[in-house]
Amino acid sequence: MAVIEVKNLTKEYKVNKKGKGLGGAVKNLFLREKAIVSAVKDLSFTIEKGEIVAFIGPNGAGKSTTVKMMSGILNPTKGQVLINGKDVAKKRKEVVMDLGVVFGQRTQLNWDLRLGESFELLKRIYRIPNDRYEENLRIMNDILGINEIIDIPVRQLSLGQRMRGDLVAAMLHSPSVLFLDEPTIGLDVEGKYAIRKFIKEINRVKGTTVILTTHDLGDIQELCERLIIINNGELMEDGPLREVTERIAPFKTLVVEFYDGETVEHEKAELFYHEGNIAKYRFPKADITAAQLIEELSAKKEIKDVSIEEAGIDDIIRIAYQGGNEKI
Amino acid sequence: MLSSIKHYTSVTWEYLKLSILTVFEYPANMIGWLISNPLQFIVGFATIQFVVKEFGDISGWNYGQLAFLYGLAIISHALSMIFFVQGWFMGFFVIEGDFDRYMLRPMNVLYQFCFTHFNLIGITDLIPGICVFVYGCIQVGFVFNLRNIVALLAILVGATFIRGGVYIIIGSSTFWTKSVADFGGYTQEFFDKTTMYPLSMYPESVQFILTFVIPIGWVSFYPAAELMGLSKDAFMPGVAPLISLGAGAAVFAVAAVIFYMGLKRYESAGS
Amino acid sequence: MNSIAAYFYVYKIRIQKSLAYHYDVYGNILMQCIIMFAAAFFWRALYAGETVVQGVEAEQMYIYTVISTAMSVFFMNDVEQRVMRSVEKGTIAVEMLKPINLYGIFFFEDLGKLTALLFQNLIPILLIGSIFIAVPKPASAMAFLLFIVSLIMAYLIHWLLAACFSMWAFVTINMTPLLQVKKHLIRLLSGSIIPLWFFPDWLASVLNCLPFVYIYQLPLDIYIGKASMENLILRLGIQAVWVVVLLVLFVVLQKIAVKKVMVQGG
Repeated sequence: MAVIEVKNLTKEYKVNKKGKGLGGAVKNLFLREKAIVSAVKDLSFTIEKGEIVAFIGPNGAGKSTTVKMMSGILNPTKGQVLINGKDVAKKRKEVVMDLGVVFGQRTQLNWDLRLGESFELLKRIYRIPNDRYEENLRIMNDILGINEIIDIPVRQLSLGQRMRGDLVAAMLHSPSVLFLDEPTIGLDVEGKYAIRKFIKEINRVKGTTVILTTHDLGDIQELCERLIIINNGELMEDGPLREVTERIAPFKTLVVEFYDGETVEHEKAELFYHEGNIAKYRFPKADITAAQLIEELSAKKEIKDVSIEEAGIDDIIRIAYQGGNEKI
Repeated sequence: MLSSIKHYTSVTWEYLKLSILTVFEYPANMIGWLISNPLQFIVGFATIQFVVKEFGDISGWNYGQLAFLYGLAIISHALSMIFFVQGWFMGFFVIEGDFDRYMLRPMNVLYQFCFTHFNLIGITDLIPGICVFVYGCIQVGFVFNLRNIVALLAILVGATFIRGGVYIIIGSSTFWTKSVADFGGYTQEFFDKTTMYPLSMYPESVQFILTFVIPIGWVSFYPAAELMGLSKDAFMPGVAPLISLGAGAAVFAVAAVIFYMGLKRYESAGS
Repeated sequence: MNSIAAYFYVYKIRIQKSLAYHYDVYGNILMQCIIMFAAAFFWRALYAGETVVQGVEAEQMYIYTVISTAMSVFFMNDVEQRVMRSVEKGTIAVEMLKPINLYGIFFFEDLGKLTALLFQNLIPILLIGSIFIAVPKPASAMAFLLFIVSLIMAYLIHWLLAACFSMWAFVTINMTPLLQVKKHLIRLLSGSIIPLWFFPDWLASVLNCLPFVYIYQLPLDIYIGKASMENLILRLGIQAVWVVVLLVLFVVLQKIAVKKVMVQGG
């Protein structure tokens, strides 16, 4: 069953053009030019129940705008978002009962008071029955150890602890969809581990559908079966991690160690790294096999050692961020 | 409907509880305000005294009557500080993304904006307000009978909503301007000038505007004239407290409409 | 160290930044004009039927209202809030120990803001005030010149007072109430709302010993010509003394603050 349906979603902004320098500033005071900018262009996709989907793309690509429209904060210029069959823009109060949202950079917790007070408030805001509230807190404690920090004022929590608090706050009312905007930003290794474990567990135990935006390769590798790449407001790629890799990064890397600092070129492979005796060649899988490349390179110059690397998530992100149409 | 009322009541109590806890978290803060806020009313009170001494009665109002008027004005000012002071800082709420969060919760956005923070610091305004008012009551011989008490309550509720509505209207401009400018200082100065002196001292055009367009006259002037039985300045005698109440509802309704128009813009433009 | 260039740079940037916020500008003009009209109506009502009260003519009160509203443009700095924010964010230590003086940067930024405000607010207020309330003629050309001198010193007194107050941020977490106290003291005791002329003599002479009256009252007295030349020159001297006293106080406090920051590491 589709939990989220995004249909032809489009967002346009009017912006003022700004002049440069002091002269421009004075001019702007009297004359202002408007321009229309499309932040999101005709985006369509569906997300099934229980999926964990990563939105990636460079800053300003339209990720946040998309997530804001999906969660009802922004209204689309055209198109619509349905969550559990309800139009987000029209039935805000109903839809948000089914949504949990965490912004990595902003907390919804009350800064001055102990963490538990924020939970008590949310219990009333979402009208969570006592037994469900207790049950949810117990589950959260099993996964995140929330009881250890529940009596500490939020301002005294570390970033990792605060993020745990925010995740619990977002899940207290048992939403079926969880939006996470850069949930691991700024966290240390341990913090990231805890957050990822939480996402996996909550997805497994409660079947929560999770949509996250991130710049963190680890998040994607560990969590996501599905990747949606957005750039310039358009959907670049949508599919399982492996398929997307095949499609936009269909190459491998050959690492060669020579006996000296000199390298050789090959017409089908790109020499993109060279330091000391080590050289790295990137080659398209379709054009040449690794064995062939090694053979032809060693015919030109003696090779000491080789290893082969598959294209990884970082290649995908790099290509996506460069505009998605890089040929090797 | 009933479940909705229960829902909002329970959340309001929780917000109030959290506000009280916050005050206890920073007691020094409250003490600081307890010292500084009354000062501005001593300043205001002293100003009235100088003015009366130099210029005599103002528009026929003597010192005691002015104290009564001023006390009434401060009390509604204090109440508006407790419930609606956020209106002054709406720009900051927009910039900080608080509205994103309000939109994600299954409650009325204007309700959340007004009640998420009870500004209990406003109590430090309330105390001097009551002192000045009681002083004025003694001076003019105001009787606290049931009818007068009910009238006073109606006036204070109405006046608080008039002020709150104006704060929200001014604050809502931020949805269009995207500016974080805080016009609170100006707003207060304007209310001071228009609520602590009799409106009848101003030209008739100004009186007209402040009676019918921006009904600030109903914050303190007309109801005070009625309560003290100053027939020269009373307007709609007998029902003035009710009109204050109605004016409060009207101003706040206009404020809500403007607020939601602004919010529509926010929804279509983001922060 | 080319700190002059740095100061000039922040000055220029601040002008640009101020010009970028149109709505703040319009909003401020609108609000200040409303307050100015309210004050003018207030005095008109008080003067109803009389032309001279305490030796002050109604016309002089109107000029007083226009000029004091216009002068408020000079007193819109926010040194305290900025220091408070830096202390809250914990960046104050790094900022204080930079080779370029933090307060120097604040001062030139404020000058930049003021420069923009002269065009954005001062001129519109004077125009609107002249048309609808009273043309603010100075008492004489000499009075106008002395007024400018006094206004510059008033600006310095107000700014230094704010800078000295801002040092409290190193001691207390929330000094907003303290700033309110200062604001109300300035409001009442500087003559910005009610001129000192209407205060009882004993109070006026006490106030003459405090710095507040040298922010609004003295420049206004000079402009309107509400005292003998000797008296004005004498008070200009006292105003200059206050500038020096506050400057010394500021330098000393800043030394102490830097020492405290160095010890604590912020």
